[in-house]
Amino acid sequence: MYKVMIIDDEKSLRNLLKHAIQWGELGLEIAGEAASGIEAINIIDDIKPDIAFVDIKMPFMDGIEFSKLAIQRYPDLKIVILTAFSDFEYARECIGIGVCEYLLKPIVRADIKETLEKIIKKLDAKQPKKEENEVVVQGNDTICKIKEYIHKNYTQPDLNLTSIAQTFGFNSSYLSRLFKTETGKNLIDYLTECRMEQAMAYAKQGMLMYMTAKMVGIPDPNYFGKCFKKYTNQTYSDFIKQYKNK
Amino acid sequence: MKDNNYHSMVSIGNNLNIEFGAVSTMSQLIMTNHAVVNYLKDDVGNYPRLTQSAMMAMYDISNTFNYVSSIYVFRLDKNYINIGKEVTYINTNIIHHPKFQEEIIEKSGLYVIRVNGDGAFKTKSGEPIISFIRLINDMDTQKPIGLIAINLTTDILRNSFKDMTSNDRRFCYYDDKGNVLLGEENVKEFQEIEINQNRFEQVAIEGFFSTKILSYFQVPNTPFTIAKIEFLSFNKYLSSQAIMVITIIISLTVICLIIIGIFISVYITNPIEKLVQYMDILKLGWNKRGNLRLSNLGIGYLKNIKNNKLIEINRLIDELLEKEKAMQKAELEVLREQINPHFLYNTLGTIADLALQNSADEVYDAIETLGNFYRRFLSKGSKEITIREEVAIVKDYLKLQKLRYEDVFEDEYDLQEDLLDIKIPKLILQPLVENSLYHGVRLKGEKGIIKVSVYEKDQWVHIVVYDTGVGMNPEQIEFLMNENNNKSFGLKGTIERIRYYYDTDDVFEIRSEEGEYCEVDIKIPL
Repeated sequence: MYKVMIIDDEKSLRNLLKHAIQWGELGLEIAGEAASGIEAINIIDDIKPDIAFVDIKMPFMDGIEFSKLAIQRYPDLKIVILTAFSDFEYARECIGIGVCEYLLKPIVRADIKETLEKIIKKLDAKQPKKEENEVVVQGNDTICKIKEYIHKNYTQPDLNLTSIAQTFGFNSSYLSRLFKTETGKNLIDYLTECRMEQAMAYAKQGMLMYMTAKMVGIPDPNYFGKCFKKYTNQTYSDFIKQYKNK
Repeated sequence: MKDNNYHSMVSIGNNLNIEFGAVSTMSQLIMTNHAVVNYLKDDVGNYPRLTQSAMMAMYDISNTFNYVSSIYVFRLDKNYINIGKEVTYINTNIIHHPKFQEEIIEKSGLYVIRVNGDGAFKTKSGEPIISFIRLINDMDTQKPIGLIAINLTTDILRNSFKDMTSNDRRFCYYDDKGNVLLGEENVKEFQEIEINQNRFEQVAIEGFFSTKILSYFQVPNTPFTIAKIEFLSFNKYLSSQAIMVITIIISLTVICLIIIGIFISVYITNPIEKLVQYMDILKLGWNKRGNLRLSNLGIGYLKNIKNNKLIEINRLIDELLEKEKAMQKAELEVLREQINPHFLYNTLGTIADLALQNSADEVYDAIETLGNFYRRFLSKGSKEITIREEVAIVKDYLKLQKLRYEDVFEDEYDLQEDLLDIKIPKLILQPLVENSLYHGVRLKGEKGIIKVSVYEKDQWVHIVVYDTGVGMNPEQIEFLMNENNNKSFGLKGTIERIRYYYDTDDVFEIRSEEGEYCEVDIKIPL
């Protein structure tokens, strides 16, 4: 089973893609979806997709930008760009940066299937990943450095597990495990924690959500809202109201 | 010029006198020749015997000289000997006539030149001859012993100017009585020349393209007057510098004329023609619009006559055309933006998703809305539309967008019913609403409100699109309305269209607070 991720700012289009294709028959599963490039960057390390459908036109971080980042960080990821005809020239750029395929909107099921079959063949042809022998390097010192790095760089919207791992020369899953054993927390959660703590501080000053979102490195306020709610168990506006009332 | 001419005439005279000098030398050779002297001095009747040798001597001597026609040597007793290359008749009565001899004797040995020997000689051919006559004096006693007459052909005269003759320079000799002796007798001016006391005279006869210089010169020591006529085309009597200067002046004049011609044609004639043509077009009606461009100068001329009316018309038409262009461009831009695949394809995708998941009713409703939207949107190609229809477009648009972006916004309407049938330029509301959605509400991450209001205040109709999106700070607003900003066409293009349509700049107001709201207020005169 290969994992598929759908990145599109329109929920209905993500749904359509989910429902129009019999993914199981192709040996694929929808592993996750994101409403923006920002959200995708933040969750892609959890989902670990083999194939990503990316809409070219999204707010905050468009499909091209996201694809550039993704190709750099996940060289094995197969990216399928979704585009309307008017962006065609733009989409051709994608070929230049190594995007695997692009599909024209409105989507046609037969085309999608055909494209997917092609991609599956390519994925099949690849050697299954070898589990790399992990040299256990220590330890606390490194984790401290990584924490420090996160504190310094959490405002960067493209920061995620893989980029940190690459910066420190680790395999990302290894880093994830290492971080967990050393601190008892997921690295991604730690990053989110950093951002949310700061966001709460801004919220206490009454800062508007979309501004806070930008300043803590999640410039997509929708996704930021989700994160905030998950972290504080209340919406940003409720949080502000509550704090004012205190 | 006159000096030049004088000198050349003098030099011809000198040539002639040199020739006569040679003749004089010849005569002296003959006069001093033994045989001749013996013939002349013989007073015992031997001279018929002496004639042979004297003639031989004359012949020998004359052979070395040119122009000799005949030579006569007279004894005091009226006998004479002669040699000749040409048959010559002699009238001895004339020779011995005291009147004939008077001057010769007076000269006492110096030569006298006479044409045809004053009638004493006559060639058989009738050609005039020049008689060179002098006394022969005895060398010892210096008393006259005879007379010598050397008749010369007129070649002696002809050769004096032969080298100087050319197409535009002709010569002519007159004898002492003013008759043409030889030369260009057929030149009219030579016939009419009047010779007076002056040795040299020059007359310029101005012609149309050339000037004739007529001059004469009385050759000293001879009875001859040489006359010359010279035809001068203007380059002859102008120096090359003068010609150059004249050429430059003429070229400059021509250039000036051309420039003035072009100037007149470009700034006066053409504009007038264009204007006339344009007036004709105007007569036919306004649907035929030409592009009238008149230069300022031509207009400036017309301005005085036509009291600014033409400029005004010109300006208005230009303005109108500009407006028309801008309107059409802006309209096209809105259409292009809306018919762009994103909106349609994504809406279709949304409807497709509805079809897969929801009830057929919802799908039907969505398709109906989409159809409605496009029908109104592309409506009949008319430029004006009622506010009611415009709002209907916006409602459909937002309904479709709500399907795509659920929980992003709510739309509200506050419409003053009696204003809804006012016509406004088409598609001014939809771009504003689109901006509210994409650049306002959606970026905020919270559910927002998009509100369209239509109301009247102080004789102005206000059409207001309000949203609770991220808003703009004053710099952003300024940047948005900056003329060089081509990125955001929606708002700027719409404002431009309204401005052109109502012909006033004061058509809108943007009120905004960053992070709170944005309100675009379109004001149109009631």
